[in-house]
Amino acid sequence: MSGRRSGSGVSSISDDQITHLVFKLQQLIPELCARRSHKASASKVLQETCDYIRNLHKEVEDLSDRLSQLLASIDTDNDQAAIVRSLLM
Amino acid sequence: MHLPHSTLKQEFVKKWIMGLQRCKFSNKNMSIFERKKAIKLSADTAMASARKGLTCWSRALISNPDRPVPTRTRRASSACKKIVKRSRRIRRTAKCGGARKGQITRSIAQCLVRKRTQILKSLIPGGVFMNEVCLIEETLDYITSLRVQVDVMRSLASASARASEPHN
Repeated sequence: MSGRRSGSGVSSISDDQITHLVFKLQQLIPELCARRSHKASASKVLQETCDYIRNLHKEVEDLSDRLSQLLASIDTDNDQAAIVRSLLM
Repeated sequence: MHLPHSTLKQEFVKKWIMGLQRCKFSNKNMSIFERKKAIKLSADTAMASARKGLTCWSRALISNPDRPVPTRTRRASSACKKIVKRSRRIRRTAKCGGARKGQITRSIAQCLVRKRTQILKSLIPGGVFMNEVCLIEETLDYITSLRVQVDVMRSLASASARASEPHN
């Protein structure tokens, strides 16, 4: 990505544009945003981004699992249960 | 295009609750697996529709909600490891001057970036059709939306956990 110089005449994508976007990505990833002033390499940012997205996907799977079990067992008689039941069922 | 976090959250919650109500969880004959699929599908659809068609990933996710688990990632990550190993070997045996070494390092970096871009494309819905700039912009938006999704799902899970306790 950072290596795209004058070779490909097709794209008018500037290196600066890509560098800026990669920096914005860096600020979003928890693993990398600690080093705010220091720009990590594009390949590092990409790797951390992929790992982060995979982690988020896994969390959604786990939460769906957990919710499917919890929502199955809302029979109890407390206030919270009444709210959840009225909201979702 | 980037919405503030709270607006996105509200949109997601609204749409997700609508979706969950349609799932008819009161039907006791639903298996746990069916329930989980319904919850995940409604969460993904809500997350995508909260963007109101403004982003590519959201349109791709709505038209193809069954997100396949990318199986080639293991192959791709082992390919990355091979590249890094090879680069270490090259650096150790390189007897030539600094300019050549710099060239090798640059081409290794380019190779890594190319491989990792391919992996990222497989993770973002509709990513295979995007050019690099679009891919990064879409990734920024997708990550923000995923965070909102996880946030809200966590809140509902803890509320439901409290609701399942016998005494409140």
